[in-house]
Amino acid sequence: MEFIRVQFKVNGEEVDLSVKPYETLLETLRNRLELTGTKEGCSLGACGACTVLLNGMPVRSCLLLTAELNGQEITTIESLKQGDKLHPLQEAFVNHGAVQCGFCTPGMILTAKALLDRNPKPTRSDIIRAISSNICRCTGYKKIIEAIETVVQKEER
Amino acid sequence: MKLPKFLYFRPKTIEKALATFTAYDGKAVYLAGGTDLIPCMKLGLKKPTAVIDLKGIEELKNVRFEGDKILIGSLVTLFELSKTPMIKEKFPALFEALVSTSCETLQMRGTIGGNILQDTRCLFYNQSEFWRKAKGPCVKTGGERCHVIGASECFSNYMSDITPALITLGASLKLVGIEGERDILLKDIFTENGASPLSLKPGEILYQISIPNEPMKGGYEKLRLRGSIDYPLLGIALSGSIEKVRIAVGGIGPAPKIWEGKLEEVPLSTQKLSQETKAIANTIMDPLYRKHMIPVLSQRLAKRVFGN
Repeated sequence: MEFIRVQFKVNGEEVDLSVKPYETLLETLRNRLELTGTKEGCSLGACGACTVLLNGMPVRSCLLLTAELNGQEITTIESLKQGDKLHPLQEAFVNHGAVQCGFCTPGMILTAKALLDRNPKPTRSDIIRAISSNICRCTGYKKIIEAIETVVQKEER
Repeated sequence: MKLPKFLYFRPKTIEKALATFTAYDGKAVYLAGGTDLIPCMKLGLKKPTAVIDLKGIEELKNVRFEGDKILIGSLVTLFELSKTPMIKEKFPALFEALVSTSCETLQMRGTIGGNILQDTRCLFYNQSEFWRKAKGPCVKTGGERCHVIGASECFSNYMSDITPALITLGASLKLVGIEGERDILLKDIFTENGASPLSLKPGEILYQISIPNEPMKGGYEKLRLRGSIDYPLLGIALSGSIEKVRIAVGGIGPAPKIWEGKLEEVPLSTQKLSQETKAIANTIMDPLYRKHMIPVLSQRLAKRVFGN
């Protein structure tokens, strides 16, 4: 079997790996790099639990081959916290009870981060549009939307 | 869920991609965004020896004007295209289809070419290998009988949102293959046979989509269960003017259905189109309801676009 060498960045750090051609980014992150914050849900691109950022844009890591990633930059949920300080979005999710079982949370937060990075003042409907990419089976979205809204309002002040 | 084993290639030119396809004797598939292909491979519906990633070919990623046409490279993502201002202004049917496809995250990855060339879907086809083995093969997987109605034909559904919209705009495709290039109207690539829905020759690459640069009023209506990520259980695109309006119906059966006429004829003609449409119980929604919604959504759309 042929291995493929790929060099890309994960959370700011260079990684240099030999991967199987049929290895997904999700498998690489969880099994090789031990970044288990990224979750495997449906594995077919429907649920969004495995969302990470590729060059700042949200992608399903279960649909991405690691072999495709030469020279790209990946951001996972592990990189959001600065030292002991949570990212404002993480903080807001905690404060609003927007986390119940927590399985969708990494994907939700990264999708929200990508939205705020490209549009610092999204409307409520922009937020709903963005996070409708991710499925949550517990809290029913309301608290998640509110949590993201408070971050927008804080940044406005 | 694991992917089956395959080799991976990322050519930088069309010629190299075609050469790789030839080298693997047809046991290769082209990869664009992967939002359709990767799930299909995970379910064992496609088992190529080689995956040829087209994303290394830069010339497939442009949108440009040439004469009286707009040329869209096949690897332009749905998200990128929906953010191109002239699309919203000139071709509202296409714009509405773009933003109603799947969800934002998948629009950022999914390409227009991949969306057009997606495989047809069925409740009895898009299942795990284990499930399909237990049930036995259907017409699309090499068996003799359809699991839904026992027929020897396949009625799987072609579920692109984009294609009906592009058809109403008179779009055509440029295909590059081993034997050379050819242009074909988008509406003519369908075989009407769900088991093998597209008439592309082995190895052909969709190079670009060409739309006549004539702004057209229009819109897109989509029937689905979830407001967020969902395939169309019926999709109606409409473009044109009061004198000449074109409607394309997607989501039912292996090829879009097309009607053209005057605006005032829409109610009766779409009624007739609905009666002629064959829908079977191969999605999560009742087939009669889906058929019934063809004239309903068409008239709703006509009203929204042209007023009363």
